[in-house]
Amino acid sequence: MLRFLLLRSGRALLTVALVVTFAFVVLRLSGDPALLIMSVDAPPEAIAAFRRAWGLDDPIWQQYLRYFGAIAQGELGQSMRDGRPAIELVAERIPATLALTLPALLIKLGLGIPAGIYAALHRDSAVDRLVMVAAVAGFTVPSFVLGLVLVLVFSVQLGWLPSGGQDGWLHAVLPTMTLGIGGAAVLARFTRSAMLEVLGQPYMRTASAKGLPWRRAVLSHALPNAAIPTVTIVGFMVGSLIAGAVVVESVFSWPGVGRLLVVAVSNRDLAVVQCILLLVAVTMVTANFVVDLMYGLLDPRLRSGAKGGH
Amino acid sequence: MAELAAAAGGSAPTRRRIPPLVWFGIGWILLMLATALLADVAAPYRFTAYDLRNRLAMPGDPLHPLGTDELGRDVLSRLIVSIRISLMIAFGATVISAALGTLMGFLAAHFRGIVEQVVLMLADFQAAMPFLVLALAVLAFFGNSLPLFVCLMGLYGWERYARIARGLAIAAGAQSYAGAVRQIGAGPARVYLRHILPNIASTLIVSMTLTFPEVILLESGLSFLGLGVQPPMTSLGNMVGYGREYITRAPWIMLAPATVIVLTTLAVSLVGDWLRDRLDPTLR
Repeated sequence: MLRFLLLRSGRALLTVALVVTFAFVVLRLSGDPALLIMSVDAPPEAIAAFRRAWGLDDPIWQQYLRYFGAIAQGELGQSMRDGRPAIELVAERIPATLALTLPALLIKLGLGIPAGIYAALHRDSAVDRLVMVAAVAGFTVPSFVLGLVLVLVFSVQLGWLPSGGQDGWLHAVLPTMTLGIGGAAVLARFTRSAMLEVLGQPYMRTASAKGLPWRRAVLSHALPNAAIPTVTIVGFMVGSLIAGAVVVESVFSWPGVGRLLVVAVSNRDLAVVQCILLLVAVTMVTANFVVDLMYGLLDPRLRSGAKGGH
Repeated sequence: MAELAAAAGGSAPTRRRIPPLVWFGIGWILLMLATALLADVAAPYRFTAYDLRNRLAMPGDPLHPLGTDELGRDVLSRLIVSIRISLMIAFGATVISAALGTLMGFLAAHFRGIVEQVVLMLADFQAAMPFLVLALAVLAFFGNSLPLFVCLMGLYGWERYARIARGLAIAAGAQSYAGAVRQIGAGPARVYLRHILPNIASTLIVSMTLTFPEVILLESGLSFLGLGVQPPMTSLGNMVGYGREYITRAPWIMLAPATVIVLTTLAVSLVGDWLRDRLDPTLR
């Protein structure tokens, strides 16, 4: 178990290091930072002084190590727009994003998992058909189309709900629904196929054959086994609590991290983009790490085996 | 989705019969391909032509069957050109991604050892990060141009092809036919491209049809945010993005491209799922 934990934490750290490297490489490929920050007609001596001050003349590996060190100490640079630390700008947007993504996650789990289980247990019933149609729609309808259709129906036609902005919980209803419905459909389809897979296993037949009531067989044999693959996708959903609302926040002009990212990208505010990139990476990696731990708890086969497995 | 297609296609799904939903998918894809190829002939107007007297005309107008936008530009003509652009980007990106992924997979299978570990690590990294965020970061650093945008989309999903190609190439390399070709002196490039690739092509094509709709959704999402295809060029997501401003007064501007996006992804997924059931040997 200890070996498993060490291996997994090592991999998590490696992924974060890869993201930092990605940011460094992309940053360096995109042009000379001295020219990017100073104006083009700055005197050459000023540019040379700037390069010396920031160590841009040092060998690239020294710059790389220094970049790593700065990020490890939480120095993520300042926004080019208003000079405030990028990390502050991002941090103050997180609550707004979570106000959408957490309720949406509850909708996904509360709607998607039961619907998937029910559909698998009642295969080819009306509910099963409905779940499959919804799952197809959830995959083929992009979130911005779903969001705009909801606006068209509930704001424009019926006038029940506001179409954008952030002013009280009513404004959060449509974006949360947009995020929740699409995710619930995906999760339902996933849970359904995980359940169907498990229900076809020999141990389910054994459970029936030894006279176990169907309800107990499902509760104590099918559900725990179907939970293993489902945990993966739930982990991905938890990991995207921060980044999963980029498009939806833009549709509803919701001032969250996603909206900030889109604005920062169009303004080429690199420090803010880099900060969000790292935040997303850390969230994703943490979620994946927790998923791996859950695997260890849910699946005893992984715990005893020396290799991590997938 | 295949289950759905089969369920709707009759009570006894047989291998021979093509379900009606798949027919719909094939028909829609053909229609889209024809539209993209014949865009210059099919579009009644130039997609940038203004008709200031007919601004925000309703659909059903004798001159403009799908209406006009805020500058009086014909929605049908813009839609036709958008279909061409969006399909071209999605095709280009899918081909790039399949070629790149297969190459990486073959490299991993051929060299094993450290090369394989690096490829697998990159694949894990790509799969773990939301692609939209990575793409946005690249666009922020490099700015936007159409070739860069297509290449960027071409990075989407390469890790799936790499995993598939690596696994299948390792399996194929152990088989006697690859050994036989090697014995008569064929170099690695010839063994992989002429002998192994045709044998694993059907699996790769199936994953291309499954990735293609996702690329369309990604492109339209980025263009919707104003960070993909830039005006005066137009694409499906771009049309939805600008049409959103007129959602109260002229919802058709945004509904027409939105419908095309949904139907196209639906059609390709239906056909892709059906192909997977028929072609993918790993499922038999």
